[in-house]
Amino acid sequence: MATSGNMSMRKRGERIAAYVFTCPAIALLIAFLMVPMVYTVYYSVFQYQVMRPDDIVFIGLENYKKLFADPDFWKALKNTFYFTVLVVPFQLVLALALAMLVSKKFKGVAVFRTMYFSPQLTSMVVIAVLWTVLYNSNPNTGLINSMLVGLGLEPINFLTNTKTAMNAIIFMSAWQGAGYQMMIFLAGLQGIPRDQYEAASVDGANSLQQFVSITLPNLKGTIKYVIMITMIQAMKLFTQPYVMTQGGPQNATKTMVYYIYTQGFQKGNFGYACSVAAVFFVIVVAMSLILQKLTAED
Amino acid sequence: MKSKKASAFLGKFLFYCGNTIIGIIFVSPLVWMISASFKPEAKIFANMNSITTFFPVDASLDNYFEVFRRINMANVFKNTLVYIALILVFDLILNSICGYALAKFDFKGRKLMLSFIVALMVLPMEAILLPLYIEMSQLGWVNTLTALVVPFIAKCFSIYMFYNFFHDIPNDLIEAAAIDGSSPIGTFFKIVMPISKTVYATVFILDFVAHWNDFMWPFLVMTGEDKRTIQLAVQSFFSTSPVHYSAIMAALVVSALPMIVMFIFMQKYYVEGIASSGIKG
Amino acid sequence: MKKKIISMLLASSMILTLAACGGGSGSGTSDSSSGDQDAASGDAAAITLWQPTDKESVENWWVEKLDEWNSEHPDIQVTREAIDRSDSYAYENKVATAVTSNDLPDILFVDGPQVSYYAANGITIPITQYFEDTSDFTESTINQCTYDGDLYAISATESSVAFYYNKDMLRENGVDVDDLDSRTLDNPITWSEMRDIAEKCTTDSYVGTHIVMDHGEGLPYALEPMYISEGKDYISDDGSKADSYVNSKESVKTTAFLADLIANGYANVDPITDEFLNKACATEIGGSWEIATLEQSADFDWGVTYYPVSDDTKKAVSPCGDWSAAITKDCQNPDAAAEFLQWLMATDNVASYAAAIAKPAARASAYDDEAMAEYKEGARALIVEQLQNTAAPRPRTPSYSTFSTDYAEAMTNIFAEAASNGTVDESYIQEQMDGVASGFEEDYETYYAN
Repeated sequence: MATSGNMSMRKRGERIAAYVFTCPAIALLIAFLMVPMVYTVYYSVFQYQVMRPDDIVFIGLENYKKLFADPDFWKALKNTFYFTVLVVPFQLVLALALAMLVSKKFKGVAVFRTMYFSPQLTSMVVIAVLWTVLYNSNPNTGLINSMLVGLGLEPINFLTNTKTAMNAIIFMSAWQGAGYQMMIFLAGLQGIPRDQYEAASVDGANSLQQFVSITLPNLKGTIKYVIMITMIQAMKLFTQPYVMTQGGPQNATKTMVYYIYTQGFQKGNFGYACSVAAVFFVIVVAMSLILQKLTAED
Repeated sequence: MKSKKASAFLGKFLFYCGNTIIGIIFVSPLVWMISASFKPEAKIFANMNSITTFFPVDASLDNYFEVFRRINMANVFKNTLVYIALILVFDLILNSICGYALAKFDFKGRKLMLSFIVALMVLPMEAILLPLYIEMSQLGWVNTLTALVVPFIAKCFSIYMFYNFFHDIPNDLIEAAAIDGSSPIGTFFKIVMPISKTVYATVFILDFVAHWNDFMWPFLVMTGEDKRTIQLAVQSFFSTSPVHYSAIMAALVVSALPMIVMFIFMQKYYVEGIASSGIKG
Repeated sequence: MKKKIISMLLASSMILTLAACGGGSGSGTSDSSSGDQDAASGDAAAITLWQPTDKESVENWWVEKLDEWNSEHPDIQVTREAIDRSDSYAYENKVATAVTSNDLPDILFVDGPQVSYYAANGITIPITQYFEDTSDFTESTINQCTYDGDLYAISATESSVAFYYNKDMLRENGVDVDDLDSRTLDNPITWSEMRDIAEKCTTDSYVGTHIVMDHGEGLPYALEPMYISEGKDYISDDGSKADSYVNSKESVKTTAFLADLIANGYANVDPITDEFLNKACATEIGGSWEIATLEQSADFDWGVTYYPVSDDTKKAVSPCGDWSAAITKDCQNPDAAAEFLQWLMATDNVASYAAAIAKPAARASAYDDEAMAEYKEGARALIVEQLQNTAAPRPRTPSYSTFSTDYAEAMTNIFAEAASNGTVDESYIQEQMDGVASGFEEDYETYYAN
């Protein structure tokens, strides 16, 4: 091993090393992610009541037929995309704004950073319980509505109105997640060379112009990365509707993962839930491959 | 001159005010949780229409006493730390070498593996719970530490972060080591790993937080009070009906403390770590 | 270094092969009852029991009682596993996963309305032969625990729902409190009286009443008596039909009455936890467990009266049901498990358990026990009176889970719509209830109709 080899020997060593390095992780991923996925697809062609695993009946593509005719499935798919499409830009802008606020060194900057990050350190269940009360429709029991009434406005049934429920969840989720993305932006901002700004201010560019012409182009890579990870998180939305609205009102906040979970466990239609999951897998995997193509350009 | 100074001061003042107000909005749930953890049950949802709900009224340590009476905290922390430590040790080693190979080695199937990993990143755990459980029971792992640890060692997201980080390490460094006669494996452990502390710290924090908050999986595969993990202990307060939020809040504060402390200590590495894995080229 | 990596590789490929070989289903290990490993000592039966974790007094009760049992019965050693569920669905998930691998405990605690679901799916076994004389138990609990003519579970405790009122608020708004206080089971308040009180007591700082216990099982549980009182239950008595029951004319009328309270702003559509205790509502349809909380924390004068009845029928009905113990299909020694259950359900144990958990006992004789002394008068006596005279179990049907989820969802929709529009749309109620009925029929037809 100590002898230095020629080019081809090195290449060979590298290839062996590559397989040695990747095999354990890949093997584990196959065993505990792919195998359950394959099971899921397998069970999707059965009628399977979750409490009766010994009595499953092969029904071919029945579950899929039912699924494509199921308005709740389409609604859940639509809601998932609606959430993702809105929460990603909203959270991105919020996170970038926060990062700009605390990017420079000043006294107490660490305290503010920690404050903005703190929702990440609190369990989502607590946050959801608290926001359910904050969003409460009655101004006598809900802080936000009590403020609205104080300002002379009409109270809003945030979580019980079909028009506002999902938006309320989007707002809360963006607020909760922004701290994490802020950290990523912070890191990205620190990577921008100082002299670019100095040159620009010599040329008389104001801070807005500097932001547009220097900050944003330099953050291109970071923004792509943030979009990608936020989308991945958004597609998995589950806890917020589960705790805050139970998917309602009128399915306005029912998401794919919520639908899979309630069908499979709460109602016991495990076979059917598997077919929903299988379709969902296809959609998200396709999406992430497209995303990967788009982000891998440069 | 004077007015310029004054306006600078005013600007600074407004900047701090703005930051403080936004900061308070962000930190409020944490404050509410901590404040509620000192309140008697009847006061937790009182005054929800005013700011006073964020202040502890009738404060006492009773809720904490109840938590420590009902939960064997030493045992719970031990259980949780043991399983997370086991996951993290393997997680950091296996995922980082995988990410490194994908970033720096040229081999057949590299592109395919990379796509595979990115594609699987989006799989929601909730959708594969039962099949994974069935797999565990067929392996005979139910109610053992193995079921808590082994399925969660390899993580697409961790591999992806390591991949992004190692991608940016200059090739010269690696080639120099190779010319000195170091094997690819040796180079990784002797040269690359020591200069990659930040990415390890980031993955460490992210995965630690994620597992610290794990509930559903430990709940399904583990049975028995002696095997309780931290989230199971917290959730045990949700079990009773009616639910008593006072004890829950105290339990949540106790369970969040280690993370808050860890975050404060590791914040520096964290920011740098995210930086280095976030941006490519 | 190389050796280490190779061994790691080996280990993971082993895992892979193991996992790959595990295809197919139902081939779980047979010696899996999780308590078996504890039974190292000879041929003693080891019985495990699952129950949701409960408050301190209950946990302590179990420790003490199991010590007593285990020392007296070296041949039947019982272990209790407290399950840390986050909600009732999580507990069910755990049961569902345990079923797939035959990992069920010997004795399983089951919530009342789920008894039929578990029984119909063969998860629990009949225990009729072990409990021949059940006359001491409340009729409602025995009904709730019976499926297809057999007893499948047995309960030590009960629950109920009644109408609570804040006397201070009622007096402020000119409601005759003495009249409410003096009501008897023959003369309970009617819906229109309840509506009157709610209307009078709706002010700028609080609402008149509270009807949404939670957005899950609390809805079908707390509201069912309204439907029965009006004339139609959710589901037919044999548990097979929802059409022309939950979506009948009577049921739509009942639902409209409830939605009207919300539409007019007499009740909140999404009430906070402890709304009544926090003086945000003047009256409430609330659970029997509220009594202890109110006694401990309420800083106002309160009273409680019987569950309101329909104006048309005046038929008094009240909710009931609590967690019950059942023996599972994976139990190797049902006789031993039953012997333990018989002991657990003996009068003195029921009394002390009910006292520890602060719920009404399911056995009449338990109330003679000193531990139950506080049930002799006041609010608790009223609860017991309801339980013994007007309690109706929830529908005994294997499709209850589906029904409950759909009904709760439909009610949430109906209430949300009423709150948003300020009026009640009966055709919308009909549409939602039709949906509940067809969801039920589909589940029943798919899995249980032969």
